Amino acid sequence: MLLKPLIKRQTYIQLSIVSIVMALTIIAQAYLIVSIIEAIFLSNASFSAILPSLGLLLFVISLRAGMNYLNGVIGLHAANQAKKKLRNRVLSHFTKQPVDLSSQGRSGEKVTQLINVVEQTDSYFSQYIPKMIQATIVPLAILAIIFTQNWVSGVIILLTAPFIPLFMAIIGMKTKDKSEEQLNELSSFSGQFLDSLQGLTTLKLFGQSDREKSRIEDSSINFRQATLGVLAVAFTSAFMMELISMLSMGLIALELALGLIIFDTITFATAFFILLLAPEFYIALKDLSSAFHSGRESLTASKKLEEQLNEPVEELTWGEASLTSRPPRIQLNGVSFAYDESETVQDVSATIEAGSFVAIVGKSGAGKTTLLHLIARLLPVHSGDIFVNDIEQDQLGEQAWFNELSYISQHPYIFSGTIYDNIQMSKPSATKEDIDHAAKEAGLQPLIDLLEDGLHTVIGEGGRGLSGGEKQRVALARAFLKQPSIILFDEPTTGLDLKTEQVLNESITKLAEDATLITVAHRMHTIQKADQIIVMDEGRVVGTGQHDMLRKSNATYQSLIGDVAGGERDGWS
Amino acid sequence: MAGLNIVIKQLMKEKRDVVLSILFSFIAGIAAVGLFTASGYLISQAALGVPITALTVVIAIVKLLGFTRALSRYSERYFSHRATFTMLSHIRVQFFEKLQNLTPSKVQRFRTGDLLSRFVSDVESLQNFFLRIFYPPIVLVLIFLSTVLFTLYFSFWIALLLVVGLLLSTVVLPALFAKVRQTTEQPVQEKRSDLSAQATELLFGYQDLKIHQKLADQSEAFNTANDDLIQAQTKERKHELLNQVLDGWIGLLMAWAVLAVGGWLITSGQMEGVWLAMFMLLTLTVFENTQPMAAFPQYFLENKKAANRIFFKEDEAVSEPTQPLGDAGAIDISFRGVDFTYPDEPRSTLKNVNLSIPSGSKTAFVGASGSGKSTLLQLILKLEEASGEVYINSQAISQMTPESLWQQTNTVMQDQQFFAGTIRDNLLSDASDEQLTYALKRARLSNFSLTDEVYEKGDNLSGGEKQRLAIARLFLRDANLWLLDEPTSSLDQVTAREVMTEILRDAENDTFVIVSHNLRGLENMDQIIVMDHGEVVEQGTFDELMARKGYFYQLKEIERDTL
Ligand SMILES: Nc1ncnc2c1ncn2[C@@H]1O[C@H](COP(=O)(O)OP(=O)(O)OP(=O)(O)O)[C@@H](O)[C@H]1O
Ligand SMILES: Nc1ncnc2c1ncn2[C@@H]1O[C@H](COP(=O)(O)OP(=O)(O)OP(=O)(O)O)[C@@H](O)[C@H]1O
Ligand SMILES: [Mg+2]
Ligand SMILES: [Mg+2]
Repeated sequence: MLLKPLIKRQTYIQLSIVSIVMALTIIAQAYLIVSIIEAIFLSNASFSAILPSLGLLLFVISLRAGMNYLNGVIGLHAANQAKKKLRNRVLSHFTKQPVDLSSQGRSGEKVTQLINVVEQTDSYFSQYIPKMIQATIVPLAILAIIFTQNWVSGVIILLTAPFIPLFMAIIGMKTKDKSEEQLNELSSFSGQFLDSLQGLTTLKLFGQSDREKSRIEDSSINFRQATLGVLAVAFTSAFMMELISMLSMGLIALELALGLIIFDTITFATAFFILLLAPEFYIALKDLSSAFHSGRESLTASKKLEEQLNEPVEELTWGEASLTSRPPRIQLNGVSFAYDESETVQDVSATIEAGSFVAIVGKSGAGKTTLLHLIARLLPVHSGDIFVNDIEQDQLGEQAWFNELSYISQHPYIFSGTIYDNIQMSKPSATKEDIDHAAKEAGLQPLIDLLEDGLHTVIGEGGRGLSGGEKQRVALARAFLKQPSIILFDEPTTGLDLKTEQVLNESITKLAEDATLITVAHRMHTIQKADQIIVMDEGRVVGTGQHDMLRKSNATYQSLIGDVAGGERDGWS
Repeated sequence: MAGLNIVIKQLMKEKRDVVLSILFSFIAGIAAVGLFTASGYLISQAALGVPITALTVVIAIVKLLGFTRALSRYSERYFSHRATFTMLSHIRVQFFEKLQNLTPSKVQRFRTGDLLSRFVSDVESLQNFFLRIFYPPIVLVLIFLSTVLFTLYFSFWIALLLVVGLLLSTVVLPALFAKVRQTTEQPVQEKRSDLSAQATELLFGYQDLKIHQKLADQSEAFNTANDDLIQAQTKERKHELLNQVLDGWIGLLMAWAVLAVGGWLITSGQMEGVWLAMFMLLTLTVFENTQPMAAFPQYFLENKKAANRIFFKEDEAVSEPTQPLGDAGAIDISFRGVDFTYPDEPRSTLKNVNLSIPSGSKTAFVGASGSGKSTLLQLILKLEEASGEVYINSQAISQMTPESLWQQTNTVMQDQQFFAGTIRDNLLSDASDEQLTYALKRARLSNFSLTDEVYEKGDNLSGGEKQRLAIARLFLRDANLWLLDEPTSSLDQVTAREVMTEILRDAENDTFVIVSHNLRGLENMDQIIVMDHGEVVEQGTFDELMARKGYFYQLKEIERDTL
């Protein structure tokens, strides 16, 4: 149970006190109204005689309004606290995952879970709990008073009461399935929407827009159906409650009329008093049933969140150690990793000397990026070990490790924010000069000069778009700013023209002077300069060495550089 | 109002449900008033000791009214919610359609999370439009009119009181709140969008956040946005709560006033005592109907904003294009003095571009990063609209329906897009399984089966696999124009060459345009166009450009040096 522990005891106490006062005002209100009418209608009292009662009544109804307000506010606060905590919990669940798990599932669904599903737990705190308390106190008080006045009416009410838990049980069951369906549809069309949104252009170009539109239409119609299903239960239960209350009200009225006229056992005042109070009894119960209904929906939402939170995360563990010397030496001993059943990286062993420049080459899909992820410890090694300066990698502190590392991935993400922010994220302590300098090193100066706001131009989602190569350079600037001792590059210069690349290669060489540089490369001229080339094929290392050696002896390498017949040819036509 | 007008239009598609909701709501409301009025009368008459038979009639009426009320309430709710949720599903589709019609650079101006929030939450909030804004006032007026007329028959003063109460709770109170609200308006929708944007960014940029140890910061930003949202919501809901409570209080107050005035009228002999209980109950009930009005201004403003966020304004296209591109084999393209500026940009990205790509020719675009190559391809595809004219087969592109153009084009964009689903889904084709498998094979993706799972954005594919999957899509289409933006930049040379050979086999007689940073193999191109800073600086065949010793020649020199 996720929601219950989120309410403080204090809240229950406050709500109970408010409900007790509310019950008192309801009873007092009915009593005063009756006494006023009786005085005028039957006792022929003068107007001035009823003035005190009128004054008191005014006070009572105002107090009742005040209690209503308090009740609402208490519920609201309880809901707020709970929603804050819940969002926090779900988010930290998401942020614990290693990168391969985090990309599973649709982002739209996750965002909806964080925002809308959590929102749906609101009514548990703001409706269900307050009404539940109110509905145990108020009707009991009313019933007690009615019994003191006329026990027959009390018995009638008591006879109809058992129907109420019965209906609640039915609502509970029905709502559960339906609201689960509703939440599923909600997640589904949110996921669908975000997924289509990021591929909008492709959908257009491939004539799939209409199909996608009808998919969105279908899922939102399904959502409508599910919502109506949930509501139908609520409406039906409200209808049934109404009928029950009407039935018993009718009986009470009849009984009162008989008592009043035929048997003369009841006075007008008593009869009227009961007639005013009995509906309040049923109103409280009707409120309860609708609160119960929304409470059930909240519970469904909470179940969904709970499922999410209970999903196991393969959390990476870290130690406390820090790097002993910089740049570090990295050693891989029989490292393997599998995304699913088959191993993507198999038994990889290699030694990367401190300060050396290592190129990883291999066909597309050979596992180069995965290997970089493993070295960066973005993914857990499934078997084998990685040593950094002879310390096992999992003994290092997370902060200590990532502080030494720059990793430019194959598709770096540009965050919504200024160019400045996007560069600064790699080193929050950097000064303006540092960032200027890093931007220059990354060849961004020509772009920045063109922009009105220069470095402070907002880019990323919601900002100015950049060309492919410009994004790549912003990401590179992060590395130049950080000056790390380990650099992992995943084809840092794809999408760059030769001129820009030439400039960048100079900067990279300078950056790599005091660092261990491991780069995935397709381009010949990068590979040639490497101190060591690791050749990968289908997840295995099939050769290590330098260019001249490998081109003579390694068949995979030869075929990779298109060096079958001797001359290098990397053109495509 | 613009947004709300569209909402009303959507709502009116459900006319039948709208009318039924209003009808049943009125019946339910008036039945309730009748029910309590009759009970008040009943109890008073009973006290006076009238014959039991007369009372039975009243009791029967009470029963009937009660049943009518319950049934009508049920029907009202059913029809009104059906109308509402049907409308919402239409609006969702419309919103998506609207986004589809935007150019990519305009979509880029929104944050994904913001759009998601509009799609889910803002649309959801429009459910109040019909349920709380549109019909309650209509019903309220009808019910009050009937009630006041009925009361007028007995007492002018009490009728007047009802009217005063009505004005108080439907005009004065809402106006007061509307005024307060204007100064304390809470940007709940924006805050929710912020929160959604923070969450989306965290998920999309997860890997880079992790590497830069920024997950904690981003979570912090999320939590701050969350606090902001909750704070804004709290203010808003407290406001709403206060409205409701005050409105309920006014109802009670009016009943109290009826008691006081009635008491005075009776004691001074202007009214019979038997009516007092009846009017008191009547007042209590009739004011239940004003409840929805309390929050009217709040919902109205909120919905207006939501509607404008969903149906946001955009520059209208000058004229709807009407002409389809004729299907006449190979395609030629020409640019005549084309300028292009991205929205909200001070500088133009493409300047006075003149070029011609003859049908069946092979053209390569080269040039510095950021020089405008990808932009130029977008203009050919009419994804963005330029000034100056682009002609395709001598037809002006501005008059052309883009779908007809896309149908005849095979494109690989620089950033390929993929969808959560299977490989089959991502091939975006209705072709048979054999054909799909064959296309995969040609794109050197034979190790994948059609049912293999693809994550959102193709996150479980390697860089090169994505490019090859995007290329496999092309083998399933019959198009005359090929536009390839660095299609093999992440592939090793061997695979790149193999895939390229496959492409050229299909494109043999077609117009073929490629953007590439790889200068090898350009010897065989019919034309090379060199771009710099948004301008075409050189064009010609490989040999011509080499002979000119200009920009292209320099690039070749650099290439030679790096080896
Ligand atoms: N998150 C993931 N889940 C499941 N499989 C994955 C995931 N990421 C990659 N793979 C698969 O693992 C294999 C190796 O991928 P990897 O990205 O390491 O290749 P690569 O050598 O970097 O290729 P490229 O040069 O094309 O980028 C590929 O077949 C790919 O489909
Ligand atoms: N959505 C956008 N809004 C504003 N400016 C943009 C947008 N997209 C691109 N630009 C700018 O337009 C110019 C041309 O971009 P384009 O993507 O066409 O370059 P490119 O030649 O394809 O470069 P690359 O080789 O790096 O892909 C660049 O200066 C870029 O910053
Ligand atoms: Mg890769
Ligand atoms: Mg480009």
